Amino acid sequence: MTTATTPAAEVTATPRRRHRSTTRRLLTTELRLLTRDPLTLTFVLVFPIVTMLIIGGSFGTEPDEAFPVNPSHWYVASYLTVVIGATGLIMLPVHIASYGERGVLRRFAASGFPRWSFALAQLSIGLTAIAVAGVLLLAVAAPVYGIPDVESPLRVAAGILVGSVAFVSIGVLLGTLLPSARAAQAIGLLLFFPSFLLGVGGPPPEVMSEPLREVADKLPLALANQAVREPWLGLGDANGSLVAVTAIAVVATALAARRTAL
Amino acid sequence: MRAEARAPSNGGMTTEQLPDPADRVVTVRNLTKSYDRRVVVDHLDLDVQAGEVLGLIGANGAGKTTTVEMVQGLRRQDSGTVRVLGLDPHRDADRIRQQVGSQLQSSGLPDRLRVSEAVTLFSGPHATDGDRLLEQFGLAHRRRFPFAGMSGGERQRLFLVLALLNRPRLVILDELTQGLDPAARREVWSAVSQLRDAGTTVLLVTHELDEAEALCDRVVAMRDGRVLDEGTPAELVTRHAGEVTARFSLPPLDVIATADTLQQLNRLPGVRGVTHGRDGVALRGGREIIAQVGAWLVSTGRPIPADLRVDVPDLETALLTLLNKPDHTDIGVAS
Repeated sequence: MTTATTPAAEVTATPRRRHRSTTRRLLTTELRLLTRDPLTLTFVLVFPIVTMLIIGGSFGTEPDEAFPVNPSHWYVASYLTVVIGATGLIMLPVHIASYGERGVLRRFAASGFPRWSFALAQLSIGLTAIAVAGVLLLAVAAPVYGIPDVESPLRVAAGILVGSVAFVSIGVLLGTLLPSARAAQAIGLLLFFPSFLLGVGGPPPEVMSEPLREVADKLPLALANQAVREPWLGLGDANGSLVAVTAIAVVATALAARRTAL
Repeated sequence: MRAEARAPSNGGMTTEQLPDPADRVVTVRNLTKSYDRRVVVDHLDLDVQAGEVLGLIGANGAGKTTTVEMVQGLRRQDSGTVRVLGLDPHRDADRIRQQVGSQLQSSGLPDRLRVSEAVTLFSGPHATDGDRLLEQFGLAHRRRFPFAGMSGGERQRLFLVLALLNRPRLVILDELTQGLDPAARREVWSAVSQLRDAGTTVLLVTHELDEAEALCDRVVAMRDGRVLDEGTPAELVTRHAGEVTARFSLPPLDVIATADTLQQLNRLPGVRGVTHGRDGVALRGGREIIAQVGAWLVSTGRPIPADLRVDVPDLETALLTLLNKPDHTDIGVAS
């Protein structure tokens, strides 16, 4: 066996290139593992599409008292946020909590992975999962309900981007705070389903009672949904929601980065 | 050998003045760490020389893992100094971790990560041939296997492969064989022996005393965060394991003949005590009594007693004696 020693000078010759290379390897590996995770495939890819197909067809296609626009389009625009919520509240917390539980993060740290490599990898896989699942959702929606015209593309893009960063960061943060994958799954589902039903993909706000609507409007996922849906369907600017989601994104990203530093 | 549980022993040197000879891979001086108010590492001194397998042993809670975590820079000490390859594990974490291979206690890999992917993931720019290491450690046929599908022994061998991938100058192995069945333990021991034979410096943390005896060139025994004693296994056995005991039955003899026989045995070189009871005679002494008793039995011209038994103390006996001593402050340690 040869386990020859390596001079320190040689090892540290190109630290920046080494960091890039290590981070790239970690990112590639994480993306590969993502495709093998049944929870991810189910909750991020399949669940939003199936529920969109069911709910999107439940209220017809004509605007009425409950819906200011075609109800199917209302839900198509809303379900992009379901993808964001599923990624941030279920996929990432479970994934990262399982790493903490099994000592994978300690192994990365002890193996000389760059300090921010894991945070960068998780941000990247979260955004990638949202992008892939979002495209799939729209690809399925297009022939069934049609894709509504985007009234304000820049605002919609900003809403999707800021909402995605906010929820990916929340997911990373939850994953580092919760002690096990089971706990992350339980808490994640508990956070996701009320947000999903009240603020995004459930009944329209008009049919809710006033107190329930008050609560629903202030849920972070509902704010992200408003920041995407309103400018998409021409229902308003949703500036307040965009600012609130941006604030959430800044705080959650800072906390998540700190918690995931190796 | 250094005195155990001693007062701060860096002789007033500042941390920057610590000697760091080229043959010293790890230097720990006066290291202290507490959790809440509980002291888990207490003014610890430790040296790991290049090319040796040093065993850090002690019961659970002795402070072994906390010590190696501070050596790796995964945990910050309250006070004291740690140098690994002359570098500070926190300030120079990046450089050190490239040169230290680790098998950590309670650490794993993602369940769905395949063996070959793990090797790729952990291979740095100067990594050795991962396939060759997999072959060497008997994992070549498992390249496509996910981590979750591997046995305990295979996992530990994979951890060894990963620890060695980047040609480390120091390998830290923490509770390497914990939870493994005897066959898997032997597999892993064999792998560590290969490291030793190749001249790799290894810091082995274990509470398995037979493991320490089988693998270590030198052993440091810890309790309550302090060094109780250190030395080669043979030195520790000599210091703490007490004596060799030889037991056998005497043939039926009259009282005078028996007394005469016991006197003869008592006069044998190395014998420190002879007791006689219903179970026969028992002689205590140094290792030389094994030969002396054998020669005496032959010289009597009688058949060798069928119940002849010789108990030779081993490292396990020595360390159990050492670790169970109620007060370790009076343990004499050579300097």
